[in-house]
Amino acid sequence: METMHNLPMLDAIDPAITQRLVTRRDAIAKGAAVGSTIAMGLAMASVPVALGALSREAFGQGTALPADIKSVLDFALALEIFENEFYSAVLGTSSSAAQNTAFAPVRASVSGAALATVQQIQKHEAAHVAFLKSVGATSTLTASDFDFTGGRGSGTGPFAAATTDLAFLLTVAQGAEDTGVRAYKGQAGNLIGNNDATHNTVLEAALRIHSVEARHAARIRRIRRLAAGAPAVVRLSGTIRGGGAGAAGATGSPSADVVAAFDRIYGGATPESNTTHVVYNGSAEASINAASLSNLQGGTDAATEAFDEPLTRAEVVAIVQPFFIPPIA
Amino acid sequence: MSERSSSISIERPEDLWRSSTRRSFLRLLGVGGTIALAPGIFAACSGDDNPTQPNTAQARLDLGTDIGIFNYAYALEQLEAAFYSAVVGAGNFATLFTDANERELLTDIRNHEVAHRELFRQALGSSAIPDLALDSTTVAALIADRATILKNAQTFEDLGVAAYNGAGKQLKDARNLLVAGKIVSVEARHAAAIRDARDTTGRAFAGDDVVDANGLDVKMEPDAVLARVTALNLVRTSIAVTKQPGDAASADRPAPVAS
Repeated sequence: METMHNLPMLDAIDPAITQRLVTRRDAIAKGAAVGSTIAMGLAMASVPVALGALSREAFGQGTALPADIKSVLDFALALEIFENEFYSAVLGTSSSAAQNTAFAPVRASVSGAALATVQQIQKHEAAHVAFLKSVGATSTLTASDFDFTGGRGSGTGPFAAATTDLAFLLTVAQGAEDTGVRAYKGQAGNLIGNNDATHNTVLEAALRIHSVEARHAARIRRIRRLAAGAPAVVRLSGTIRGGGAGAAGATGSPSADVVAAFDRIYGGATPESNTTHVVYNGSAEASINAASLSNLQGGTDAATEAFDEPLTRAEVVAIVQPFFIPPIA
Repeated sequence: MSERSSSISIERPEDLWRSSTRRSFLRLLGVGGTIALAPGIFAACSGDDNPTQPNTAQARLDLGTDIGIFNYAYALEQLEAAFYSAVVGAGNFATLFTDANERELLTDIRNHEVAHRELFRQALGSSAIPDLALDSTTVAALIADRATILKNAQTFEDLGVAAYNGAGKQLKDARNLLVAGKIVSVEARHAAAIRDARDTTGRAFAGDDVVDANGLDVKMEPDAVLARVTALNLVRTSIAVTKQPGDAASADRPAPVAS
């Protein structure tokens, strides 16, 4: 049952409650269900140890994660492998010689701070892949399972210019990162469970990956705006203005297929232009329109930028499937 | 202790005067049980106890509820909005920031933090903590010059990311978690942008000082975040945690203080 606490009432309760509060660490120490390996993992600040221990202790040696968590983590792993293989191909460090060769033309123009950025991002994506596998996510995807032209194996898809044109490559990277941010956001609610330790641990880790993807997207926006001639819709604050294909801020004359792809990336059932947000106070739901908040500065543009929006799993699949040769779901 | 004996629900003000309710209420005072007050109760209160005009002396956070977590976020957004409003609203803003790109960056962030603050204010309604009173001397010091402003902005943004990443798991309702998720990624974008504006290496936006070897961002539990806020000597309103949140999922990876 949700409870709402009347603050002045707490004036009277406060001393009684505070006498009886146990600290979080005490609670962990007293938790009979939490085994020594988990406690050690928590103490060592090692999420993989704690997570791995949780799955083993809670569900038995060799038993998979709960199905709801496993499904979300497997989905996340597929996206992370995609991102990691994409940046590895750009850097020429992919295990697939063909992928390295494909991006050779654009590689020479990825230099200086931009190169350092791509290396830093790739390092994180590789870490995400390793982390998700360490906590029980599984995938059979390898470097050669991807077609980064978006041609589903033809090698001549609408995004082929990313292998030769730096500005376009960065726009595609921005789209990939923003898709990642939106995908994790859309899955967070599936990780609440009963706010039990297993779900909370996984949810926290997912949120911490989610914000890293957002950092990536912001830096790519800034590179594009500062060095690659992107328009002002690509904000220096790294945020997303508006929604649909226009929010990508693509330059040049992108093909209809590319425009349609960006429309999926920044559109959807809850597009990035959405300003309506739903909250629940424990007894009632309320919809709030951020574009009509009091004291708002910067108008509707600011209202769209200030809140990132989720994608459903099906929407994410529709966006990324052209880049995966095997079917995904 | 059974669930029945550890909680009561008060639907109307009159309930408080029913002897059975009053006995339960007083008993719960002694054992630290849960007392649920229907929203309508608020409107019936009056005078100093009226939570629609809360006591400005103290902001109380019950971090065991979604409302408490939202109030915690609301407190942080108040600080960020006040900081950037002071920066952008200062008479010498254009003098301190002669680069239009930096003015766009800071003005955008001001706009976003104000929107976050106002969304929480509206979402919380009569349950909202009061407007936090800030120390004007500290504010002036935080915005003394360009380098100081960008440094403090970085500290604020990383702290905000850490706070949301630590608090998300405490939210019980998926709708509220989604709203927090909509905001935290924007804070992360801000953090990356501010870091990038102070950087020439191309790596600071998600540097190794924030993202760990597992590729995970900063994360702090509320007590650690509030201790950092206290250390700023910025907030004059006292912030009291009346109930701690549930267990931490993992040890903190604290947001660094920018240098």
